[in-house]
Amino acid sequence: MTKKLIGVLLFLLLVFVVIPVGIATTGRKDLYYVFTSIALLSIGSAGVWLTFYIGRINIGQGAYALMGGYVSAILVMTYGWTFWWTLPVGGIFCAAASIFIGLPILRLRGVYFAMVTLVLTEVMRLLTLALPITGGAKGITSIPQPGPLNILGITLIPDFAAMENPRIAFYFVSAVLMTLCYAGMYRLVHSRIGHICMSLQQNEELASSIGVNIAYLRLIAYAISSFLGGISGAMFVAATQSVYPSSFTVTDSVNFMLNCFLGGLGYVFGPMLGTLVLYFGWNLLFETGKWQLLIYSFAMIVLMLVLPNGLLSLREGKRKG
Amino acid sequence: MEQVIANGLYLGAQYALIALGLTLIFGLMNVLNFAHGQMYVLGGFITYSIYGQLGLPFPLAVLASGVTLFIIGGLMERYLFRTVIRRSHREESTMLLAAATAFFFDAVILLLFGEKQRGVPKIVKGVFNDFGIILPYDRIAVAVIAAALIAGFIAFMKYTKPGRAMRALAQDRVAAQLMGVEVDRYTMIGFALGAMLAGLVGGLLVSITGVNSGIGGPISIKAFMMIMIGGAGVVGGAIAGGFILGMMESVGLTVLREYGDVTYLVIFAALMVFLSIRPHGLMGKPWG
Amino acid sequence: MAEILKISGMTKKFGGLTAVNNVSFSVNEKEILSVIGPNGAGKSTLFKLISSFLKPTSGEVLFRGERISGLAPHIAARKGVVRTFQETTIFKNMSVRDNVIVAHHLRSKASLAGYFLGTQTARQDERSFGESADEIIKFLNLDGQRNEIARNLPHGHLRALGIAIGLATNPQVLLLDEPFAGMNHDETMKAVAMVRRLRDRGLTILLVEHDMPAVMKISDRIVVLNFGEKIAEGTPAEIQSDNKVIEAYLGVEDETIGL
Repeated sequence: MTKKLIGVLLFLLLVFVVIPVGIATTGRKDLYYVFTSIALLSIGSAGVWLTFYIGRINIGQGAYALMGGYVSAILVMTYGWTFWWTLPVGGIFCAAASIFIGLPILRLRGVYFAMVTLVLTEVMRLLTLALPITGGAKGITSIPQPGPLNILGITLIPDFAAMENPRIAFYFVSAVLMTLCYAGMYRLVHSRIGHICMSLQQNEELASSIGVNIAYLRLIAYAISSFLGGISGAMFVAATQSVYPSSFTVTDSVNFMLNCFLGGLGYVFGPMLGTLVLYFGWNLLFETGKWQLLIYSFAMIVLMLVLPNGLLSLREGKRKG
Repeated sequence: MEQVIANGLYLGAQYALIALGLTLIFGLMNVLNFAHGQMYVLGGFITYSIYGQLGLPFPLAVLASGVTLFIIGGLMERYLFRTVIRRSHREESTMLLAAATAFFFDAVILLLFGEKQRGVPKIVKGVFNDFGIILPYDRIAVAVIAAALIAGFIAFMKYTKPGRAMRALAQDRVAAQLMGVEVDRYTMIGFALGAMLAGLVGGLLVSITGVNSGIGGPISIKAFMMIMIGGAGVVGGAIAGGFILGMMESVGLTVLREYGDVTYLVIFAALMVFLSIRPHGLMGKPWG
Repeated sequence: MAEILKISGMTKKFGGLTAVNNVSFSVNEKEILSVIGPNGAGKSTLFKLISSFLKPTSGEVLFRGERISGLAPHIAARKGVVRTFQETTIFKNMSVRDNVIVAHHLRSKASLAGYFLGTQTARQDERSFGESADEIIKFLNLDGQRNEIARNLPHGHLRALGIAIGLATNPQVLLLDEPFAGMNHDETMKAVAMVRRLRDRGLTILLVEHDMPAVMKISDRIVVLNFGEKIAEGTPAEIQSDNKVIEAYLGVEDETIGL
């Protein structure tokens, strides 16, 4: 118990003190964007991880990130909403959409589900190109900075536009969202719901024979996953102040999935670690210029050969040995 | 109308050949090979180098594409996939490996051949124009070669020893092993063959559509769609899926021409509806 | 004895093939009823129809007067009719105890949200599930394997675990799928005793089985299927002297039977 508490404190310290202080002392303000991206992408990856946890390979998170981003952007630009309300609405919109989409496709298993979700990402991209409200290939640009969030006269979040460096604010908001997301995820997996999800992953027939409504549970898990995708997309769009059909593509969907694999499918914090390593690794390799992709993919192959069960399986190996 | 059907058949023949390689690998090892499109591109560039740049005969170039990919495929199975499958707790881990190899091929292709679109001289000149159909002779030639390759592949799977062994493997690994099939050996040959098919189509098509380093991913997605339509892991399904997608594209691009990419949107939507009715495609086995 | 399960006019066609044809019988409370028949007689199809894993072409299953067929497995289970599987169907990567605990799903008083938030009811549930799981594990002599990961269990224990999972749902009717398959004489005798103890707990048992001696020993009544149709129904003594049954079994020479 105390060990767990220390872990949580260390994590909070790292995210909310060490990283900002580190950036302030080195003056590398551009790193805020990197860490904001990592925080947001790991929220999306957490969603994918949850679908893995019920036994479905989800390569469609890019679709929901894109959807969430557009919903938020359109609500802000066309209807003049405050960004902070569009964030949950974007997420809920994605969750609702995923229920409609999930009803037919969640019956598919294995590779079929994986391939359909991959196609779904492509559908979303084409849809944003074709719909009148999304602005075609030009996308939606010059989205204003999020305004203040006032509830009952108390300003919870100040106006980003009035800030000297809104990047820091974006980082903190994203970090808070990520922390909440993973706290919720941890609770979910370690409660009885996690066990039931696990039973689904291991044998759906047996799970239904003990009275679990598997169709319902799959739908809930998928909706939560898509909600997280939508939130992550909406926040991303706010941070970059623009959204295009190519903001989230098949490659992003694949990356969301890879983050989960790399961190380890059996560990709640796997997707966060995976996102950190993949995103950071990719950026570090930027210096290598044209060799970037080669080194990156080569490292990934080697990692897969050495640790086929994810980075966090290292810890387990130690415990056993 | 005739024109639409002719275009559809031409597209279908090449698509079916692409899907065959993917479905073979899937059927044998339950691996969804994300790198299939990249293998196609690699095959294209090899033919481009040998036929387009060195000026050697086209058949030789295509053959070289096939052989190179055969070797690469065999090595990939032996040294990458086999290890990961043995050591991983979850079968799906091969997807990460496949995606990583796809990225790796992308990088290699980009470094070796650059990002320019490359084409080669036509293999046959002239245009067929009769019965209301206008179709360049080289397209007809490619479609015929593709059809011949498909027929050859089916014959190989039906009548040769390795073909029969692989079919047994795809049906039931354990039973095949008990029957004395050398599982490791034929899995490797199967993977190599699948890669070879991708290389052959890539080589063939470079003579018509050319090749560039960015098309690997989109080709893979198309191939996924085809095997979803037909049913993953089934030879007949891959061929059916290829021709159906070819026809749908041909019809869609004619009917919906003014709307641009809407064709694919319609195809995707139709695919989703279809899969919700038939979760395992036309001929797939359950549990993909 | 009161009738608990009533199967009437059950028919299932796959394409042109009729797997089960117009089968009717009923099961009384606290009875052990076996369905037997040669290979391909439609036993396992019937089994899946009763547990709602398959939708019948026509006919219905009534549990205490309520229809449970043609719905979904989890609904039949919720009403109190639960099936077990043959041995490979368990939650492989969970411990034995976790297998049994998770199977207490139907006894949940708290909602999913309640479990997430860790409400009073949810914590009470988790505690009582743990206790009940321990009791079931003890009842089925799985004590020594309590914390073993299920996939590492030997065969005999796997089958006991399957029954433990079924018991955890607190069923009224337990459907057993070939509980004696692949067992030697000693193991079968132990399993027979165990099924009797299940009945003594107040359960009604409907089992599908090949092993004739065991079936004869354990059943109160037997239903015999052949080519998808019911050809006989009665006590073990009646079945043993039924000409139709003997004919059906002698017609299949490669069947090892104990008649």
